[in-house]
Amino acid sequence: MNILLISTCKEKLSEYEFVNPIVELIKSFEYDIINYRNLEMSNISLYDKIIICGTSLQDNDYLNYLDNFKKLKDHDKDILGICSGFQIICSMFDEEIIAQQEIGMINVETQIKNPLVSGDFQAYNMHNFSVDEVISFNVLAKSEKTIQMISHKKINIFGVSFHPEVRNQQIVTNFLLI
Amino acid sequence: MRLGVLFSGGKDSYLAMQMAADNHEISCLLTMDSHNQDSWMFHTPAIKWTNLQAKSLGIPQFIQETEGVQDNELEDLLELIKNAKKAYSVQGIVTGALASTYQSTRIQKICNKLDLWCFNPLWQLSQEKLLEELQTYNITSIITGVAAEPFDESWLGKELDSSTINELLLYSKKYRINPAGEGGEFESLVINAPMFAKKLEIISSEIHYSNFSGRLEIKEAKLE
Repeated sequence: MNILLISTCKEKLSEYEFVNPIVELIKSFEYDIINYRNLEMSNISLYDKIIICGTSLQDNDYLNYLDNFKKLKDHDKDILGICSGFQIICSMFDEEIIAQQEIGMINVETQIKNPLVSGDFQAYNMHNFSVDEVISFNVLAKSEKTIQMISHKKINIFGVSFHPEVRNQQIVTNFLLI
Repeated sequence: MRLGVLFSGGKDSYLAMQMAADNHEISCLLTMDSHNQDSWMFHTPAIKWTNLQAKSLGIPQFIQETEGVQDNELEDLLELIKNAKKAYSVQGIVTGALASTYQSTRIQKICNKLDLWCFNPLWQLSQEKLLEELQTYNITSIITGVAAEPFDESWLGKELDSSTINELLLYSKKYRINPAGEGGEFESLVINAPMFAKKLEIISSEIHYSNFSGRLEIKEAKLE
């Protein structure tokens, strides 16, 4: 299996925090890392799965490159978006992003049976934006405040608003098993 | 980017700073001097010697005293970071946070409130990898506090070199400790590193130890 990790970090220093922990979870497979600004240069067809990693709370530069991400829809690939990656996936399908801050540990409840997670669990959250409702996606899990996990209704595209690499690594490894 | 570093003088905050210095300007060191030895946020037995480290690094230092009472110490930290932002126009803060969501949540909230970037380059790094990085970056530190079995008093003042690190890795299997001390098993003080102009020399010190808990009280130190 060949995996493409897309970094949404404007600053390289942030990649230690948001990309390297994901690398630790997938390093037994073949993988490449590409920054969102260079996504156009990437040959997406080479990869089986794509993970869009998160970034710092202050970092919104990736929002200027949403068109680069929309092209991912042209490829039939399994995608997991984490935090900023969650927002990017929602934007790819024109869902409305709203200001919604959560920083720290939260309680999450699974809403429907899915291949990534089950039951109630705690997760580490750090975002200033989220979605209140979705049209193209099913809601897989929610916190008291907002939607935490989604999956596209027709294709294997998943979004996780929290950071599974911190306390819920199984979500990433389960994604690889799909 | 101009950055301030939350600096305790220990191996983690130094390593985080060194990694940040690759691509950014380190404008100042920010040190919390907590009067509470049991503080969850800030605790290091040799905090007063960070001023010599700052001198060796040639980086200005802000020190904020705190009683270390939960929540109040966060107000003190906010004040410290606010002052750094004002004095040095820092755009972000670097921390040595590794795994504690308690610490990182609080620092992230403060940075977000002050509209500052927050960088945690050691975040989720494994204990073994952290010890490797200390050697890769050529960072010399000594143990200034212990708080777990099987650390006896001979560990106080010991250098974290390859032989000590091997011992820690063995202990981690036998005694289920975090080999880099993430669970508070030990505290460290960096005495020499690539960004230091001069090595920190401990001239005299006293050991306080009982029942797997102890600290190295540094009485006198200087830059070589």
